[in-house]
Amino acid sequence: MSSLDELTALISSYQQAFTEALAAADGTPASARQAAIDALKVAWTGRKSGKIADLMAHLPSLPPADRKAFGQQVNALKTAVETALADREARLAASRRPADAVDITLPGRAPAIGHRHPLSLVREEVQTIFTRLGYQVLEGPEIEDDYHNFEALNMPESHPARDMQDTLYLARAVQAAPVTPWAAAEAPRARGPQPLTLLRTHTSAMQIRYMEQHDPPVRLVAIGPVYRRDNLDLTHTPMFHQCEGLVVGKGITLAHLKGTLLAMAEALFGAGTQVRFRPSFFPYTEPSAEVDVACIRCKGTGCPVCKHTGWLEILGSGMVHPAVFEAVGYDPSEVTGFAFGMGIERVAMLKWDVGDIRLFYENDLRFLEQFSV
Amino acid sequence: MKVLYSWLRDFVDVTDGPAEIGRRLSLRGLALEGIEPAPAGEEPPGRTPIDGDAVLDFDVTANRPDCMSVVGIAREIATVYRLPLRLPAPDAPGHLRTGALTPVDQATFRVTLEAPALCPRYVGAAATVAVGPSPGWMQRRLTALGVRPISNIVDITNYVLLELGQPMHAFDHTRLAGNAIVVRAARPGETLTTLDGKSRALTPSMLVIADAANAAAIGGVMGGLESEVRPDTTRIVFESAWFAPGSVRATSKALGLRSEASMRFERGLDQTGAGRGMARACALVEFLGAGSVDGTMVDAVARPFSPRVVPLTHAHVEGLLGMPVPVPEVERILDALGFTATADAARASWQVRVPGWRPDIARPEDLIEEVGRHHGFEHLPATFPPVFQAPPPSDPRIARDAAARRGMLALGFSEAISFAFIDAAAAAPFSAGEPPIALANPLSETFAVMRPSVLAGVIDAVSHNRRHGRRDVRLFEIATAFAARGERRSLAAAWTGAAAGDHWSGGRRDVDFFDVKGVVEHVGTALGVPLAFTLVEPDYLVAGRAAAVVAGTRQVGVCGLLAPALADARGIPRADDVYVLELDLDAITATAPPGATRVVPLPRFPAVVRDVSLLVDDTLSGATVRDTIQRAAPATLVSLREFDRYQGRGVPAGKVSVSLRLTFRADDRTLTDDEVGAAMTAVLAATRSALGAEQR
Repeated sequence: MSSLDELTALISSYQQAFTEALAAADGTPASARQAAIDALKVAWTGRKSGKIADLMAHLPSLPPADRKAFGQQVNALKTAVETALADREARLAASRRPADAVDITLPGRAPAIGHRHPLSLVREEVQTIFTRLGYQVLEGPEIEDDYHNFEALNMPESHPARDMQDTLYLARAVQAAPVTPWAAAEAPRARGPQPLTLLRTHTSAMQIRYMEQHDPPVRLVAIGPVYRRDNLDLTHTPMFHQCEGLVVGKGITLAHLKGTLLAMAEALFGAGTQVRFRPSFFPYTEPSAEVDVACIRCKGTGCPVCKHTGWLEILGSGMVHPAVFEAVGYDPSEVTGFAFGMGIERVAMLKWDVGDIRLFYENDLRFLEQFSV
Repeated sequence: MKVLYSWLRDFVDVTDGPAEIGRRLSLRGLALEGIEPAPAGEEPPGRTPIDGDAVLDFDVTANRPDCMSVVGIAREIATVYRLPLRLPAPDAPGHLRTGALTPVDQATFRVTLEAPALCPRYVGAAATVAVGPSPGWMQRRLTALGVRPISNIVDITNYVLLELGQPMHAFDHTRLAGNAIVVRAARPGETLTTLDGKSRALTPSMLVIADAANAAAIGGVMGGLESEVRPDTTRIVFESAWFAPGSVRATSKALGLRSEASMRFERGLDQTGAGRGMARACALVEFLGAGSVDGTMVDAVARPFSPRVVPLTHAHVEGLLGMPVPVPEVERILDALGFTATADAARASWQVRVPGWRPDIARPEDLIEEVGRHHGFEHLPATFPPVFQAPPPSDPRIARDAAARRGMLALGFSEAISFAFIDAAAAAPFSAGEPPIALANPLSETFAVMRPSVLAGVIDAVSHNRRHGRRDVRLFEIATAFAARGERRSLAAAWTGAAAGDHWSGGRRDVDFFDVKGVVEHVGTALGVPLAFTLVEPDYLVAGRAAAVVAGTRQVGVCGLLAPALADARGIPRADDVYVLELDLDAITATAPPGATRVVPLPRFPAVVRDVSLLVDDTLSGATVRDTIQRAAPATLVSLREFDRYQGRGVPAGKVSVSLRLTFRADDRTLTDDEVGAAMTAVLAATRSALGAEQR
């Protein structure tokens, strides 16, 4: 005869064994888990040779008075085993991928979306800034006559300042009306069409075309390509883009220019950007100033980008020369104005850390695709 | 302009070192280009060498001929540092002394000014000399500034040029035929061998300094070899003159000959400087022990110099700058720069006499710049210009081009920007018999002509990407195309490789004609202009895969498959199919209906859709089939489009099965089956009778 105590201890050891077997099954790889659970089922709840059945086989060896208690203990174990295995099976089933599941780690289909050219992005940014400041945005002819590009800008033939910009000339002059959709219906001061002989060296030619057509006040920016006979290198291309600004009215001052360029610099390069005016010379402005912004990399402490000066030159500017006003029929004793010309490439190079200006004209998709749409 | 720090200190007792001087002058209008250590060596008698002596290189702007000299830059430094400027003078010590020369009408030579407009003043003085090397201190100063020492006499001319900015020349007196100096225009066919040993052909627009017989120098540009000072020269005539800037510039350009002298004359020199230069040169001859000067000078003046007087008001100064500048500060700056400002009683305005070395100062604004830059642009407040009116509308092309750009970006095209000049071969296919606009002085043959079509650059951009291993390329550019009749804004695009489905899941399809046609239609929608297509066969497209794009009755562009020979010529692999399009945006907007888009109300009644398959001759165009149906159908046919075309099993040879989807809808009622049935019967009857079509 067995005693109830002996058998209760046996049940405990079985319980312990099941807990260990279950943990072992949990540790198998997901792919082998079902087999492990099935094996546990056979080993424990099998009708003939399962461990629960083995335990039940001890029943007849107990005194009848203890049989009920023993039966209850074995049943409790059986229920616990069955519940645990059913739970493991449910969990395994829940974790299994449905037949039409996808591998979410494979690459998605790239939508066909084009990328904008960085110069186009800067151009639009500048347009937006000045539109916000109440400017009219214009474009003008790229093939110009000598008068609008030079003479009216206080650079008569044989002026040494013409050497500052090496000009590209046409082999034969062209007689064509410049396209200016913003032209006024009546333009009493505009000069008749003249032979077009050169590629504009700066957008300043637009100043003349506009003022010939319109009375003051003037508040415009003109953006577009300009051309100079510069060899290609890291910082020069024979074609580049300029943004010209012109404000004319009563009482316009150099300080107004500073405020305007500070606003532009902050919009382009971030709040708190400092600007610095350095006196310079342009035939069509007096006083003239080159404008630097505090280096956008080092914030003015000095780094290789700013050649350790803390400053980056971004544009030329000044107060419109009275001779320019006289050329377009404005009275320089009545109005003053400021003008500035900024290179779009220069801004783009600073903004995105582009080290070679020629990249803008290669149109390499590996370059273009780094810019937003 | 290079200047030596120790030489500057002859004229101003500045204590800051070279770097700090460079930094401060850069903020006052003289941009420092660089600093190099100066070679060690002798100083003039009585001066002690300076530790850390350096050569400062300034970028002198074209309006400042006065700063092409040590004294000119010393004057700027004196103004910045509020220090006195010490100029060479008769009573100055040692090496800074100038001579006192007695003016005479005629010395051992005569001077005749025959071209007073080009040379209104010519000063000559003679000396008996012993030619030899100049002293070490002078050689050091010249060498430091990049001038090669030659001999005491030649070095003196160069020393005065660098120090005072006055170009000098020395002739061998004995080689001036007839003891004559004639300043005249060159004679036709006249030649002169210049100091550099080259024979120069002169023209009558050039000014020469001649003796009684021949040209001896090109005025303001370079001396002649024949009359140069040689080791055995014993008598010399110094020249110190003023030559007209335009003439010197034109002559120097025509001869391709630039010299230290021409660089200064062409910017405009000080007419009062010729005498100072001569006095200085003569004093240096004696100071160096190089000989003895005659003590007289011939000062030939055809047109006396009269200094400019420019009026200036204090209100104008502050009004143009937009910052306060106290009256004493205005006067201090003008005085330090050599201006003589005579104030009115209230000190509210001045009559400012301009010194001869400032030919750039002609208007009050020029003086205001001087005051502003030396007061300091750093004092400018950042104020804002008042706005008095709303800005007029911007250039309509900007919004139009932006709409076209958005359209292209949405279709997966990336934006290109290329040079407007291209090589002649790249332009040829697009020139349509008209020669392109050529440049007179292109940088290279690659940039010889202005593009007649924006496509040229886009094609080259495709080529670049293909050569860098990119198989699928979509690029567009919106830019100006050039022709003799004018500029036009053009949209060009190219598409090669995949049209869709370049993905591991498959479904890749290469671009074909209908892709590029769809792009054109989309751009038309973006611009609000319906675009149609007609047959066209430009040489640069493949016949049968090309279409002209039409807006209204006007051709506004093309689209199609690029001719393989052209693609090949631009370096694109021959096997590539490159589909291209170009649209004249100006022409398209010229045909655009004015007025804003209006929304069409959504239909209130349901549509009825009928599909039909017709067997027609495969030579029949889709447009013909659609037109026939359109004409036969009632107005309730609101949409008609092909959704399948099939040739093969079950379709007889020479025929094609065309499947069309017809959508009927009325605005005022739900269509009945009978109505749609009647419409379909009419459609089928018409296609049968007009096109011989059978329903499948």
